[in-house]
Amino acid sequence: MAMAGALILVGVVVAYILAPLIQDRRASLEREDDELTDAQAARRVALLALRDVEYDYHTGKLDEKDYREVKRQLSAEALAAMKALEEDGGRDALESEIAEMRQGLRAGDVCDVCGFRNPDGSRFCGACGTALEPRPTPAESA
Amino acid sequence: MSVLGELALWVSLPVAAWGMVLGFVGGRQERGDLVLSAERTVYAVFALIGLACAGVMYNFIYDQFQYWYVANYSSRNLEFFYKVSGLWAGQRGSLLFWLYLLCFFSVLAVWSNQRKNREFIPYVVGTLMGLQLFFIVVLLFAQVNPFEQLGFTPVDGAGLNPQLQNYWMTFHPPTLYLGFTAFAVPFAFAVAALLSGRLDARWIHLTRKWILLSWFFLSVGIVLGMRWAYEELGWGGYWFWDPVENASLLPWLTATAFLHSIQIQENRGMLKVWNMALVLGTFVLTIFATFLTRSGLIESVHTFAENTTIAFIFLTFMGSIIAVGTVLVLYRLPQLKSENQIESFLSREAAFLFNNLILIGATFAVMWGTLLPLLSEGFMGEQITVGPPFFNRVNIPFGLGLLALMGIGPVIAWRKASRRNLRKNFLIPVIVGLATAAVLYPLGIQHGLALTTFALSAFVMTVIVTEFWKGTKARARIEGEGYFIAFYHLVSRNRRRWGGYIVHVAIVLIFTAFAAEPWYVEIQQTMEPGESTEVVSPLGARYTLTYEGMSTNVRDPDQNLAWQAIALLSVERNGSPVGTLRTEKRGYLRPEGQQSTEVGIHSRASEDLYVILADVDLQGVVVDNDPDAQAATFTFLVKPLVGGIWAGLFVLIFGSLIGLWPSAERVRSTAPARAVRMTPSRHSPAPAAGD
Repeated sequence: MAMAGALILVGVVVAYILAPLIQDRRASLEREDDELTDAQAARRVALLALRDVEYDYHTGKLDEKDYREVKRQLSAEALAAMKALEEDGGRDALESEIAEMRQGLRAGDVCDVCGFRNPDGSRFCGACGTALEPRPTPAESA
Repeated sequence: MSVLGELALWVSLPVAAWGMVLGFVGGRQERGDLVLSAERTVYAVFALIGLACAGVMYNFIYDQFQYWYVANYSSRNLEFFYKVSGLWAGQRGSLLFWLYLLCFFSVLAVWSNQRKNREFIPYVVGTLMGLQLFFIVVLLFAQVNPFEQLGFTPVDGAGLNPQLQNYWMTFHPPTLYLGFTAFAVPFAFAVAALLSGRLDARWIHLTRKWILLSWFFLSVGIVLGMRWAYEELGWGGYWFWDPVENASLLPWLTATAFLHSIQIQENRGMLKVWNMALVLGTFVLTIFATFLTRSGLIESVHTFAENTTIAFIFLTFMGSIIAVGTVLVLYRLPQLKSENQIESFLSREAAFLFNNLILIGATFAVMWGTLLPLLSEGFMGEQITVGPPFFNRVNIPFGLGLLALMGIGPVIAWRKASRRNLRKNFLIPVIVGLATAAVLYPLGIQHGLALTTFALSAFVMTVIVTEFWKGTKARARIEGEGYFIAFYHLVSRNRRRWGGYIVHVAIVLIFTAFAAEPWYVEIQQTMEPGESTEVVSPLGARYTLTYEGMSTNVRDPDQNLAWQAIALLSVERNGSPVGTLRTEKRGYLRPEGQQSTEVGIHSRASEDLYVILADVDLQGVVVDNDPDAQAATFTFLVKPLVGGIWAGLFVLIFGSLIGLWPSAERVRSTAPARAVRMTPSRHSPAPAAGD
């Protein structure tokens, strides 16, 4: 009885672990685009810093002079990052990005093929025409 | 069930090894099939170790005394509750339980990254399986197998140490273990970042919730341990700088440093090597803490461990983590260059930096004091120990420095703050702090360090309240919202910051509780039944304690008691009765000869009255049952503000939960995903989930 239980246990475990090799099932190893994610990270950092600077100024932690200087510098960084993102495939229009960050709007459906961000509830991609899977939960959440 | 459990433990050995090798090889060669197989070992080992734990629990519940572990940590009359928690009562079970929690967090880490951060995952899996493999090897080959059999079946077990039969003790170790094991995930991501060369702030971004989670469990575990010591050890204290207490404090200190310094890397791209060192160091310290607790290397009140060969295995393991970590960091050093420089010492990043220096200073001081007995014995042949005076003297200045920074940091702007603004922002908090000192001094609070603590606490609390108020006001103005909505949005849009401030409030509460120690009142009094003693609290209350008498109880096998002497005292506060307190001495049947003292505590918001039955004529009371032998010696303690520690715990939990609460976006983005068969991946490059 114990022997049978042991054999079943070992059999199940081995089958489960080796199945990917035998059936050639693969896990995704997609490497996120370095330059793209770097630019996104830079944009994110700059926008967060801008938010902090705004907050620091309004709560009286920053002088107006310092505030203007830092804000100019950070805005330039954010713009550069956004430009880099735009050149990288024109996924996101600058204006819509700003509006999105500003209002925290929900992101729409991202096209699996070209990455274009469509308005919520779209059935076909506005950029390449691919049929979009009905998926209420966008993966994008930056 | 027991056989199946033991078998599962053995099967997990090759499975974990397979997972480790395939994780690293699959990541290196970018082979999706190998990686998928490796990922499956994470789930498989979790199930297998779950079976092994179930096996040990089964042995406890069904009194399988043929197993060494059960025979030594249980007995037939042990309560069911403690039989279940027997899994982590001793060294062997704890190690298995530790491993199980590690498996649990590994599953969580892999499962939540099924479709994102894929380039890290092979190495994360490899690292986690390597850690699991280590613990499986220890369990199977270091003479700590919980399934080891005695070769005969004793009629009954030796019983569980009665001091461990306490509600707090049941939750304290698992909570700490949760903290220790959760930190394995940030560690694995750090290793993955080093191996894959993705060394921007992304690995930090991905793991900061894990770090906070781990820190949260560590904090809760430490405070629960203090509560246990306070109630159960019967000497009236909550912290003794015992090696095992220190061991749990060490990773807490470095994890706290890490929580602060990652913000500099995220915001300013600085301190990359430092953060790597902190995450590697903290992880090694969690292993070190497990090792100290469970190896018996240093004598302490916690030496519930029994075997020291395991010490050398652990030391080798920690040594190799440090060596591999150092080599990897050195190899990636060119990519870990700082992107910015600190512009001014009057900046928030500078405040964070000081915070880190202090925390690391405290870490080294505590480590030095903890290891001194061992080092002195090893190098000089003579054991030198340092006690609480050393630790207090060294750490109180560190603590005060941290307290001051808690007030300074939030008010200083990032990058650069001007003196004029500092003056403006600090004026009111500093006045409040000084006013507090000025009010307290004439009231008799003249102990320098304590007075400083109270003044700084008032300063910090003012800063935090002002921050909340100013933030709400600023948000209301910028966004044109009402104050209530503005406050809600303020906190919910940057929960990490505001949750952090609430945790600071908790730390202030706990520090003020520490600072009240010079006013602890201690009176020892021998009393006959009917006699009263008056104890005056430093806060002015007058307690009258009347010894009502002693009742005894002899040989109660159901409760594992050889004898029991219970003293009853009625308590009046300022002349009005507030109830009775009982304090007792107990002798246990198993382990034979074991005694304990149970204390009586009357808690109020402002202070605790703590009663210890210090001495009693056991021969006369218990053996002869002589009514004239009831004279007993009591120790009465009044501990002002001690409740702040336990109140602080709740505030800390509240603040941490605000920081940990998943954001709405995060909830929406966890759609299930499957491995794809033979088709090119269709996943869009999803950026890291943020806040």
